Amino acid sequence: MNGISLLSVLALLATASACSNIERSRDLANPNVPPAVTAMQVCSICHGMDGNSGSPNFPRLAGQQAAYLVAQLEHFRSQQRSDPPGPEYMWGISHHLTDGQIKGLAEYFAKQVPLPNAPVDAHLMAAGKSIYDNGVPEQNVIPCAACHGPKAQGIEAFPRLAHQHADYIVKQLNIFQNTQGRPGTPMENIVHPLTGENKEAVAAYLQAFPD
Amino acid sequence: MSVLEKQIQPWLLEIARFFSGLMVASAILMPLDSQALPAFARQTGQNCVSCHAGGQFPELTPYGRMFKLTGYTIGSRSIPLSVMGVFNYAKVSDTTKSDDPSVDFQKNGVPVFSGGSLFIAGKVTDNIGLFSQITYDNFASQSPDGKFQGHSSADNIDLRYADRFIDNNRDLIIGLSVNNNPSVSDPWNTTAAWMQYVPAASLSSHQFSDANTPFPSFDAHNSPLAGINAYVLWNKMIYADLGFYRTANRAFSIMSAGTNDDGTQKLRGTNNPYWRLALTHDWGAHNLMIGTSGMIAHAYDPGSDISDPGNLGRFKNVGVDAQYQYLLDPHTVTAQVAYMRQTQTYSANAFAAAAPPFVLGDGITPVASVNPSDTTNIFRAKLSYVYQATYGGSVAFFNKTGTINTLNQTSGYDPGGCGITNDPECPGVVATSLRVNGNLLGSPAARGMTYELFWTPLQYVRVGAMYTAYNKFNGASDNYDGLGRNARDNNTLFGYVWFAY
Repeated sequence: MNGISLLSVLALLATASACSNIERSRDLANPNVPPAVTAMQVCSICHGMDGNSGSPNFPRLAGQQAAYLVAQLEHFRSQQRSDPPGPEYMWGISHHLTDGQIKGLAEYFAKQVPLPNAPVDAHLMAAGKSIYDNGVPEQNVIPCAACHGPKAQGIEAFPRLAHQHADYIVKQLNIFQNTQGRPGTPMENIVHPLTGENKEAVAAYLQAFPD
Repeated sequence: MSVLEKQIQPWLLEIARFFSGLMVASAILMPLDSQALPAFARQTGQNCVSCHAGGQFPELTPYGRMFKLTGYTIGSRSIPLSVMGVFNYAKVSDTTKSDDPSVDFQKNGVPVFSGGSLFIAGKVTDNIGLFSQITYDNFASQSPDGKFQGHSSADNIDLRYADRFIDNNRDLIIGLSVNNNPSVSDPWNTTAAWMQYVPAASLSSHQFSDANTPFPSFDAHNSPLAGINAYVLWNKMIYADLGFYRTANRAFSIMSAGTNDDGTQKLRGTNNPYWRLALTHDWGAHNLMIGTSGMIAHAYDPGSDISDPGNLGRFKNVGVDAQYQYLLDPHTVTAQVAYMRQTQTYSANAFAAAAPPFVLGDGITPVASVNPSDTTNIFRAKLSYVYQATYGGSVAFFNKTGTINTLNQTSGYDPGGCGITNDPECPGVVATSLRVNGNLLGSPAARGMTYELFWTPLQYVRVGAMYTAYNKFNGASDNYDGLGRNARDNNTLFGYVWFAY
């Protein structure tokens, strides 16, 4: 390798590295980067600028409860939350975030406006609504609405579920049901008796949630 | 010492040599946070699958494309080093129709360590990032006594500056890339620099495995290049990239480090443009890209006098490509198609030197005179599926067609005769008949399929097998070399163990 050319390039990079661009930074370890900048430069790639992610691989964050988002980011940061999105994406994203940045990110997404989704099959919708509003009494499953609210808007640490991707909800229910990936919530016991059909129905209902 | 140990040893020495210099440089440059070891996964703290679709390298996810287009700057600085290596094994269907199988199929049926790469890659500033690769080929050259010698040289280099202007009304990424391979700056997997399977056999270790099948490519890249590209991605919808390339020598020799400047093909000046335009759309778990790319390069004949304009030829490439991805855990589906047409106009001197008339080895049968230019068309399509980023498979079809040119003819009809000659009396034989790699028709055509199965038990290790089946090679299905060898005789099974860290 041409040592002189390599050194000159490295020297140039070293000089340039003194510069930082706080207003449009994608640095996840700089405590001075404002949360709104991180939200737009990094989070938006998967979750959307307005928190209405297009891909069901990534949960919608628009209008989500700020307290819930803070708790999740803290759980990712401490690696307490270990379901696949943790090691795949969020542990790294959250690793160096400060408490202030986490709070700011949560507030950014909490104030975004959730967008409606396309309607789903009426039978599935009815089955999902029944589970959401009334639970599954014969299996001792309590109504989801009891904690997540009649409009599925959530409250504080209980997340908003309305307009969330159905695929994401089913996967989370499976994680609560079958793994220890999201400890510290009451969900593990609540969802235990749910069948696959129950989960599909309630998830479809929540995705297409009627306004 | 085992054969394998002997093969690995020089590679380790080479890597150690690079490491010693680079560790010093990176210790000066990267004093910040360094949790664990190298490269992008450490920089972002994320798993390989966040950027690579189903863990298939080098194919990128939508997030991976944004990571690249924003200049590899997401995350925080860490030690920017990674290594990669490949052990492989290949077996060709028929090795009997050869004058000397030990020469024609040197590594057939023998497990080898084919080579490895050292990557220096990572965030430098909020706007600057680097991806660079130094590759060691364990079979780079062969001494007169038949012994292989390994060699390291600069592989892909992509140094970027990028900025992203985003608000509620717009999302604009602009950037510059200094690189050494046209289309290496591109974030899609169907461009020339990225469509090959990874890992692939070292070209010199196994002929006929998939790495030797036709891929869309810019043949100007046979010359060591250095270029600068400016690109823009507007609203995650329109991507445009314009670059200009020159020969990577003198001040740009870092881009071709390890390649001897003498005897390489040189480009004329810097007016050798590369361009790329793509439309892209994401919906739900799906994403689609339709694009086009091309390059015009003015190249002197390799090793020729570049002050003589008579030695100047030209490559013109125009391609179209498309990629569809469906990414929803646990499924990854990718469909890719790419087509590239290349016209090579020969230099006046090369054309004059290859003057007709040509006749076949019988001394009577005339063949077409050499063309002043040749055109090749390469089409490739690939469908792949990966489950849980662990179990995967793919099927690919390739088809190359092109003009027939006596320059490509390396076999005559009569194995005992003179082959192709421009003298019916045969005193000055131009090309003798060649088995295995001979070309009777002077056609570059090749067609076939590649099937692949792989298993990724850990994100840094992959074990796989590929089978490449030819139904056309060097222009024909049967008797392509004029000595009885058929395209299907070249069908090859290729197995590999790949690792990176």
